[in-house]
Amino acid sequence: MDFISATFVVFVMILSAVYFITPKKAKWVVLLLGSYVFYVFSSVKLLFFLIFTTAVTFICGLVLGNINEKQKVYLKEHKNELTREQKKELKNRTSKKKRWIVAAAVLINLGLLIFLKYFNFIGGNLNSLLAGIGIEGHIPQLNLLLPLGISFYTLQSIAYIVDLYRGKYQADRNFFKFSLFMSFFPQIVQGPIARYDHLAHQLYEPHKFDYQRVTQGVQLILWGFMKKLLLADRLAVAVNFVFDNPDPHEGFVLFFAAAGYGLQVYADFSGGMDVARGVAQVLGIDLALNFERPYFATSIEEFWRRWHITLGGWMRDYVFYPLSLSKAFANLGKRTRKIFGNYIGKKLPTFLSMFIVFLLVGVWHGSSWKYVAYGIWNGTIIVSSILLEPYYEKFLKKCNINTECFSWKFFQMMRTFVLCSFGRFFSRGISCMTALNMMKRTIINPNPWVFFDGSFLNLGLDYKDFYVIFIFILVLLVVGILQEKGIRVREKIAEQNLYFRWMLYIAAVVIVLIYGNYGSGYSASEFVYQQF
Amino acid sequence: MKEQLLSILNDLRPDVEFEKEEKLIDDGVLDSFDIVSLVSELNSEFDVEINVMDLEPENFNTVEAMLELIVKMQEEG
Repeated sequence: MDFISATFVVFVMILSAVYFITPKKAKWVVLLLGSYVFYVFSSVKLLFFLIFTTAVTFICGLVLGNINEKQKVYLKEHKNELTREQKKELKNRTSKKKRWIVAAAVLINLGLLIFLKYFNFIGGNLNSLLAGIGIEGHIPQLNLLLPLGISFYTLQSIAYIVDLYRGKYQADRNFFKFSLFMSFFPQIVQGPIARYDHLAHQLYEPHKFDYQRVTQGVQLILWGFMKKLLLADRLAVAVNFVFDNPDPHEGFVLFFAAAGYGLQVYADFSGGMDVARGVAQVLGIDLALNFERPYFATSIEEFWRRWHITLGGWMRDYVFYPLSLSKAFANLGKRTRKIFGNYIGKKLPTFLSMFIVFLLVGVWHGSSWKYVAYGIWNGTIIVSSILLEPYYEKFLKKCNINTECFSWKFFQMMRTFVLCSFGRFFSRGISCMTALNMMKRTIINPNPWVFFDGSFLNLGLDYKDFYVIFIFILVLLVVGILQEKGIRVREKIAEQNLYFRWMLYIAAVVIVLIYGNYGSGYSASEFVYQQF
Repeated sequence: MKEQLLSILNDLRPDVEFEKEEKLIDDGVLDSFDIVSLVSELNSEFDVEINVMDLEPENFNTVEAMLELIVKMQEEG
């Protein structure tokens, strides 16, 4: 069942109606059943994987929860008898025990994801490697299907297990409620990657019908539909046209395709998030924010803090911090201080962890070398920009450049946009080599005349499509500027009188129906992140 | 102790008025790079073991919260 479909709209309407008329105690059951109905309609053959991960996570969570509880009770009962050292010793022993459970849960859940997503990629590369040294590799290529949302719910399950290891909260003791947390339908397709302490209690608590919340949720859904149908699916036509056969194109056309792909993914993914968050809001549930106007970022580092926020937050808490604060990395820092000096030695553990994070983010997007390159591209820019920052600041001072004015900020935003767009050659290009080739041809032969000779009208879009794209980007820009200034647009709309509000809603629906870019049979194309 | 902490913080980010800030993490004043550098400095300066489990926003949002964390860590040994 696609988010952007009449079936989904009807499904949400029926589910919401049933949810609001169901007695308080059973409301969460409606959400659980609804979530599984949604999953069955979307990916029935692979339902087993979701149930399996849910069961493994639940059981390991229970074991961890019991260990935490036992330790807590013991420490409370023997509070006055134990010395500080004995308490520390007990905590260390318990931690060791817990680490085995965490390792088992992570190995099973992540192992399943790695097997399904990367087996063919790893096997294929090993075969090639063996062939390179004259040995015939026999690792078969399997016909593996990826269960819907596995890249998202696996990360969610790992966060739950690690948080229990850290003693952040108590384990869930109701398997069915926990199953709802793992499968909540608005966020199973492409996130946001939820944290148990933020989402679970919201799902379990009953929510009353709230007119204000429902209208604001519907507004967000409509906004998501507009982003997806007016912008993302329209840009996709030109982007696919160029990337499917890049050889006849040069310079700015290639750059337009890469930048267009960035905008397409933004409209597609953030549009999907708006639909997910809107549906949840109708039901009284707040999902985590996943985008905060990334194209207003003034550096790549800031861009990634505003883009796919829940993945970034996950990587920060479960990869970046544990790695950069680990003893192994601290020792590495100490050793390198002697060789490279204090500054680099101090920064090295952080840089290395950041680089690993970006490699993982790259590979998380898919099993291909181009995603590895995409990770290296982003990691290299961030690490080198931090490393070169002191020299850069000196240079700006020397040149007497005012960095506090709008024009400088605008320059920084444009610079970030260009760098991000170049990175998109990797994530959208057919292969790593194609991406590098397209980059080269963009720089070597920019050919600005394409702006005047109608080249852009030969990419599968006519001038009307470009008008729609241009106007909607303008609308996005205005809304973005208002939000950057702290103005809550949906609340402002809610303050207007009834006639204006309803005119706005009807206009939005009409615009989506008339100007939406529909495929055959008026169905929207699949979300880009749904494939991850 | 507060003076020592402020000196570490000011070395780390001279552009921030730490005593006036109340949401250093929630408002994104300190990013993850700053946190890692800060924790390493605090661990060596105050002889504590702040680890990844303590990296909650409420422990780093204000100078007072950081002081509380350090004192708690020192008491726990």
